[in-house]
Amino acid sequence: MAVSLTKGGNVSLSKEAPNLKEILVGLGWDARSTDGSDFDLDASLFMLGENGKVRSDADFIFYNNLRSSDGSVEHTGDNRTGVGEGDDEAIKVDLAKVPANVSRLSVSVTIHEAESRRQNFGMVSNAFIRIVNQADNREIARYDLSEDASVETAMIFGEVYRSGAEWKFKAVGQGYKGGLGPLARNFGVNA
Amino acid sequence: MEIVRGQKLKLRDVAASSEFEVAIDVDGGCAVDTSCFGLDGDGRLSDSRYFIFRGQPESPCSSITRNGSGSFSLNLSTLPSEVRKIVFVVTVDGEGGMSSIGQGRVRILVDGDERLVFPFFGRDFPSERAVMAVELYFKDVWRIAAIGQGFSGGLRAVLDHFGGDEMPVPPPPLKVILSKVTLEKRGESKRIDLSKRDSPAPVHINLQWDEAEGGKRGLWGRLSGRASAVDLDLGCMYRMKNGDCGVVQPLGDSFGSKSSAPYIFLDKDDRTGAASDGENMYVYRPDDIDLMVIFAMIYEGTAEFSSVNGRVTLRDGRDFEIVVPLNNPDGGHRFCAVARVERDGNGVRITKDEMYFAGHRECDSHYGFGFNWKVCRK
Repeated sequence: MAVSLTKGGNVSLSKEAPNLKEILVGLGWDARSTDGSDFDLDASLFMLGENGKVRSDADFIFYNNLRSSDGSVEHTGDNRTGVGEGDDEAIKVDLAKVPANVSRLSVSVTIHEAESRRQNFGMVSNAFIRIVNQADNREIARYDLSEDASVETAMIFGEVYRSGAEWKFKAVGQGYKGGLGPLARNFGVNA
Repeated sequence: MEIVRGQKLKLRDVAASSEFEVAIDVDGGCAVDTSCFGLDGDGRLSDSRYFIFRGQPESPCSSITRNGSGSFSLNLSTLPSEVRKIVFVVTVDGEGGMSSIGQGRVRILVDGDERLVFPFFGRDFPSERAVMAVELYFKDVWRIAAIGQGFSGGLRAVLDHFGGDEMPVPPPPLKVILSKVTLEKRGESKRIDLSKRDSPAPVHINLQWDEAEGGKRGLWGRLSGRASAVDLDLGCMYRMKNGDCGVVQPLGDSFGSKSSAPYIFLDKDDRTGAASDGENMYVYRPDDIDLMVIFAMIYEGTAEFSSVNGRVTLRDGRDFEIVVPLNNPDGGHRFCAVARVERDGNGVRITKDEMYFAGHRECDSHYGFGFNWKVCRK
């Protein structure tokens, strides 16, 4: 039974799934049921050091940079409508391969062309982030944003982080103004 | 407090009371109508009585009441627990789209005191003809969400959205009679303000009667070819504002026209749909009428008006419905001037006459149209 988190809550992935090696970070949302432009949500992952910044621009994993240079993080690709059951976008992480000087993996979602399409997260239904154990496809933790979805166009959904020898997951649910560019710069990317 | 599209709040942070008003208005650009849907936990309209609109202004529990266009009174404490979401919808009435409204707003008021406002903008609705403005929904507590999304397909698309395949009975279309009266006595009248009429539909005049043996004449009787003991004809004498006079009636095949003067049409062959009962005549330009006398005539059969229970109904399917029963029949005559329609300012006045005459000529001389009559047979 997966742990269901609320905003700010965290869970030890290592305790929930002993011998955890590879995880899948799944993100989903409902396709737009009303008329108008589709909701095109893009997932990104920032590999952050102790200082909360990327070590280099290569640590910014997104639709134009699907794999980290060390191979520990792999984005499975872009979904442009949210159509279909389950995860709409997913990022695979081989925890064992994550370099020691990366202490946090921050997972964000931005709305593509949100400004011109006049969209925000509050208009998107049933957005979630979940952590799945790749070894047995079991869902370890899940965070449904629902009421926490902000009226901003970028959101930090959650983060996977080191806590001593363990890996933990935290439900962040924090909106960020301005979209992917400002968010990336906030994490030290030269975007 | 002002909220923006996509924003969600706990209702108690806005209004501590479970009784409040939801008021919706738009600045203009096109005429709009408002309705409200009480949905189940799956977001379905599983009970069509919770589609609250002009024709059904109150939920069975009285917890949702439409006070008039754009105002709903709510009492969440008496709402059945099956209703978990209440969506307020703005639809375009007639032509145009929501893009032309400029700005509109939804307000939550407690005892007339504004607690929350959600402004929405026409520029957000390029093709929409129906917009879900806000929704109240129950998730641990009652909450409000500013939706501001809609459908170019109008109210029909909203119904599909909430109903899908599972909707047991589609709710009735927007067919609402604002004014429904029966003119019981001679001389009683009803004025229709045509300038405020918001329906483009023609005025439908229907004549019905019962078969002499007591059976109601209906579609089946016609289809089965059962000989009717009575055959009543519906017709009218008219004088338009431009002075043109004429008669529309089956006799002499004077059925009129839908698309040219006099824009009065006797639909003798309409035997389908809801208008299949009785005789039907349509007035497409009621505002052009100076005087119109609606008459009924017994053409064949041995019956008299005293045995057929005749009644004429004028309606446009939306703004008014006026029933004129022929309840003072004169046994001797087969021609009845049922009612007259006269110009009255920006509208028309419909007066029950129910006067019986020997025939057309006598009727004409009473009203003073001044026709030349000749003997004619169908």
